[in-house]
Amino acid sequence: MTCQQLNDELDDYIDGLCPDAKLLDRHVATCDDCRQRVDREQRLRAALADYAVASMPQPDPAFFDRALATAVQARNTRHHNRGWLKGFGSAIAAGLVIWFVASNWASSPTMPDVATPQVTMALEDPRTINLVFSSATNLDDATLTVSLPPGIELHGFRGQREISWVTSLREGRNVLPLKLVALSPQGGELLATLRHHDDDKTFRLKVTVTQAAS
Amino acid sequence: MGSETQNGGGFDVLLRPHLDRLYRLAYRLTLSKPEAEDLFQDVLAKAFDRLQELVSIEEPGSWLCRVMYNHFIDKRRRFARRQLVAVDEAHLPGQSIDNLAGDSDPALDAERRQNAVLLEKLLARLSEEHRLVLLLHDVEGYKLSEIQNVTGTPIGTLKSRLHRARARLREMLDADGTFYLPASCKPVREEETDDMPAAQ
Repeated sequence: MTCQQLNDELDDYIDGLCPDAKLLDRHVATCDDCRQRVDREQRLRAALADYAVASMPQPDPAFFDRALATAVQARNTRHHNRGWLKGFGSAIAAGLVIWFVASNWASSPTMPDVATPQVTMALEDPRTINLVFSSATNLDDATLTVSLPPGIELHGFRGQREISWVTSLREGRNVLPLKLVALSPQGGELLATLRHHDDDKTFRLKVTVTQAAS
Repeated sequence: MGSETQNGGGFDVLLRPHLDRLYRLAYRLTLSKPEAEDLFQDVLAKAFDRLQELVSIEEPGSWLCRVMYNHFIDKRRRFARRQLVAVDEAHLPGQSIDNLAGDSDPALDAERRQNAVLLEKLLARLSEEHRLVLLLHDVEGYKLSEIQNVTGTPIGTLKSRLHRARARLREMLDADGTFYLPASCKPVREEETDDMPAAQ
């Protein structure tokens, strides 16, 4: 048994699928290089197992119930649009829903009529907030205006309380990450207003500021 | 109580044990929570449409995963387009790396979290077919035979892809140079997404 053989069979050896495992065990026990190689691979597998947990976003606690109910309802109504798009009146509102996904939220609201979403920021600690727009159709020449509460700044837009973009939204999800920093503990409401022709809709995000971690 | 309600109840009982695995598969396929939820919802709707068939299936979990994969492939163009958005989400620092159970050792916690962030970045550089087999096998714990069942790809091909995916990942980890360092020697990573992307 040689180092090259271990190299060739490393995957199977770690997976417990190697027919020569006992021979390899003996080789690894006497070869520092191979033992190190096996240790590194085992560390990688352990890290991938951690990653399985760390990388998996948790759905909203009611998501499974809602999804099951929607599947049944969709069949009955022959309506396969997503449930949370129902109930808006104007053309723009009928096609758009927004929610905010902050980096430490275990789940994001998936209904438009939930209470104002909130995010907590530490003072002077930059935080990226995702604004996620879900549009039922493509929308060209929409104007997005973000109004910031006092003491909250957008990275790259120093001193500006209101920033506007002309943008196009594609059918489906559109994500706009905003890197915010709190310069005062005041906090307040961030407003995101989307205008398309004569329609507009404003979404709100409550921003709370805590003292910076020491 | 109407038959529709009864069907809904039976549907719930039949599907409930498989929802977690199905949701995880949706996320591994789409790499995006909103898209995973869409895919998951689509598959549940398909499953309900085929409830009579589903009832008679011996392993509904495998069947559901296969339906999900096929639906994902069918809608690849739609999901591929949306993945461009998902990449931005994934690159936000710590966006999805928040679920590690706390350890009694904060340094170990920090190291595990740092490793997960690094893996997320490197996995994104693998080709789609290499990433998927590695995610399903080494991350989600699927056997190769289960992946074959879901994707219809021969086991030999899957094994070869897995081998190459791992080799590529090792290369990238070696090039990065931090993964195998002791925790005390690891540099603190800075946020990697600082630029304000244009809203287009």
